[in-house]
Amino acid sequence: MTTRIDRRGVLAGAAAFGSLGALGIPAAWAQDARIRLLWWGSQNRNERTAAVIDLFTGANPGVAVEGESAGWDAYWARLATQTAGGNAPDVMQMDYRYIFEYARRGVLLALDDAMADGALDLSGFSQEAIAGGQVDGKTYGVSLGANSSTMIVSQAAFEEAGVALPEKGITWDDFAARAAELTEKAGKRGFYGSADAGGLEPTFEGWLRQRGKALYDAESKLGFDAEDATAWFAMWQAMRESGACVPADLQALDQLNIETSMVSLGHAGVSFAHSNQIVGYQGMSQTPLVMVPYPIGGPDSKPGQYLKPSMFFSLSANSGVPAEAAGFVSFFVNDPAATEVLGVERGVPESAPVREALKASLDALGQAQIDYIESLGDLAGPLPPPPPAGAGEIQFALKRINEEVGFGTPPEAGAEALISEATAILERG
Amino acid sequence: MPAPAAAGAAGAERAGRFARFWSANGAGYMFLAPWLIGFMVLTAGPALISLYLSLTDFDLLRPPNWVGTANYERIFTADAKFMASMRVTLFFVIFSVPLKLAFALAVAVALNRGIRGLPLYRAIFYLPSLLGTSVAIAVLWRQLFARDGLVNSFLATFGIEGPSWISHPDYALWTLIILSVWQFGSPMIIFLAGLRQIPTDMYEAASLDGASKSRQFWKITLPLLTPVIFFNAVVQTIESFKAFTPAFIISGGTGGPVNSTLFYTLYLYQEAFGFLRMGYASALAWILVVIIAAFTALSFLSSRYWVHYDD
Repeated sequence: MTTRIDRRGVLAGAAAFGSLGALGIPAAWAQDARIRLLWWGSQNRNERTAAVIDLFTGANPGVAVEGESAGWDAYWARLATQTAGGNAPDVMQMDYRYIFEYARRGVLLALDDAMADGALDLSGFSQEAIAGGQVDGKTYGVSLGANSSTMIVSQAAFEEAGVALPEKGITWDDFAARAAELTEKAGKRGFYGSADAGGLEPTFEGWLRQRGKALYDAESKLGFDAEDATAWFAMWQAMRESGACVPADLQALDQLNIETSMVSLGHAGVSFAHSNQIVGYQGMSQTPLVMVPYPIGGPDSKPGQYLKPSMFFSLSANSGVPAEAAGFVSFFVNDPAATEVLGVERGVPESAPVREALKASLDALGQAQIDYIESLGDLAGPLPPPPPAGAGEIQFALKRINEEVGFGTPPEAGAEALISEATAILERG
Repeated sequence: MPAPAAAGAAGAERAGRFARFWSANGAGYMFLAPWLIGFMVLTAGPALISLYLSLTDFDLLRPPNWVGTANYERIFTADAKFMASMRVTLFFVIFSVPLKLAFALAVAVALNRGIRGLPLYRAIFYLPSLLGTSVAIAVLWRQLFARDGLVNSFLATFGIEGPSWISHPDYALWTLIILSVWQFGSPMIIFLAGLRQIPTDMYEAASLDGASKSRQFWKITLPLLTPVIFFNAVVQTIESFKAFTPAFIISGGTGGPVNSTLFYTLYLYQEAFGFLRMGYASALAWILVVIIAAFTALSFLSSRYWVHYDD
């Protein structure tokens, strides 16, 4: 048998060789370290993150960063699957709720050594900012920014209807009256003063803290009782009945993301969110939005809100390039050019020098975030104890039970269901 | 050979039997190998591993611990969500499968009248089946059935003020059933092929005897079509038990409002990836396998009473 190379064979060979290049084969000899990075977020965040990756690889020849992003829903499934397959990303974005589960299951790398030897420079961080990423005394997460709960208020909706915007320090009762007034004066079908936040865990937590209670106590037990939950569900039921907030079938359209929030869909003048999300909310809205702190319980109301790390970067315990990965995180939170690109999209930066440098370059939305965080003052209290295992499931239960109340279950029955389900989930762990 | 003679003889006989078997069937197995290896590695292997995991507390991140039948006990005794998701899924199967088959049959009969441009109509009616399980259609469905969606705009012209169908616990599941019925394309194509098989002289004889069109349908078309109906019913029932994407997209993965669209598969997904209980989810998956197998077996058992095979 003779071998004959015809034109088609040559073409196939050339194509195969070319596709080797596409597979990244040249990278194998040109670069010796490859960092895999996984994060969740909007298109806006993806663009900013990609720009920082370019800056980093430009400044660090010999290191490549392979970025991958997903939406919040898909993110945790993807991270869990990759981790189970022994293929966890070297650097991963982490959430306050999940960092305890991942750290305690041995998935994350303790960063204390990297901090000690200078590979990870957190010298600009306050002690509280570092402590926010600690689990059982070790540091597993680097905060990418601080945020707090907020109301996102459509300034235009209130002004057009001639209703005064809710102000800082407004009580829940006055807020309900104000929202009902907006519904009535706006007089548009399918438009209401406020979203229904009865099923929203951060709002429930803020309200509980104002009453001197908590969502979870330091022993990972429920920090509230049936009486609190009844009052909470009854308050929102009264707002539904007075037309202050959207009815249950509208609120159920909200899938806990910015795109389907009541303000973004044009169904309400007020939504409940986190301060760094103002960037995303404003992107969805044609008219100006402003941030106002949560309403309060009254003159003897305690601080309900708190400053928290909006998200972290964590390193994989199995990373083959821990030093380079730590270097990337350090670059991400300290480098002047990188932090300018990132702005306050992930929250207000924790590093004091970075925050100072940013003030000159921030746009109005960025400035509004810093102002908002600084304006909270005595409305903000200490960080609550870490959420127990099962907190994510309880969050779903709260949403569902609030829906049940909205569709006809009495608040007392809803409260009982919440207590018994949440207790069962916590016991199961 | 130093081995005892008897054992040697037995070994030789075994080897001989294998040689005979191989020379008779070897080529067949070689041709089967690509599929067989794929089946073993990609289907049977993972299925067996999931059976093992269903007896553990596997959480994806740590090595699994053996817990025996604890997962199954919990599912059957202490899991309200299991019952809720089972109810939703059964409701969906019981209404969507017959409606879809009836609709597919009606369209197939209409198309079988020898109208012009049949291939075009067939393609148009089949289109939803190609698109139906996609994310884009589920998103479109949300728009159609939302409070200010197209459906309510249409109703408003009659002065009817509709609710937000997609997010109301009384109607949300029905919008998913309609979505499923709308994807009647593949059973329709199979019905169409089945209708072509029915000899036309039967209809000629019937009309000579004065049988009306509807009588012809009930006495000739339907009985002769029962094998095709049976096939479609089994396939669609299995598909409906496995439905996932529409509920996932329409409820944002929550199965809401008030668990009204919490399909079994969606609950399974939540347990596995939302709450990292892979062992428990594996047990749920095996229960679904048993349920689908039981339904299929029942269909086959019942078929001897209503399915007429011509030969």
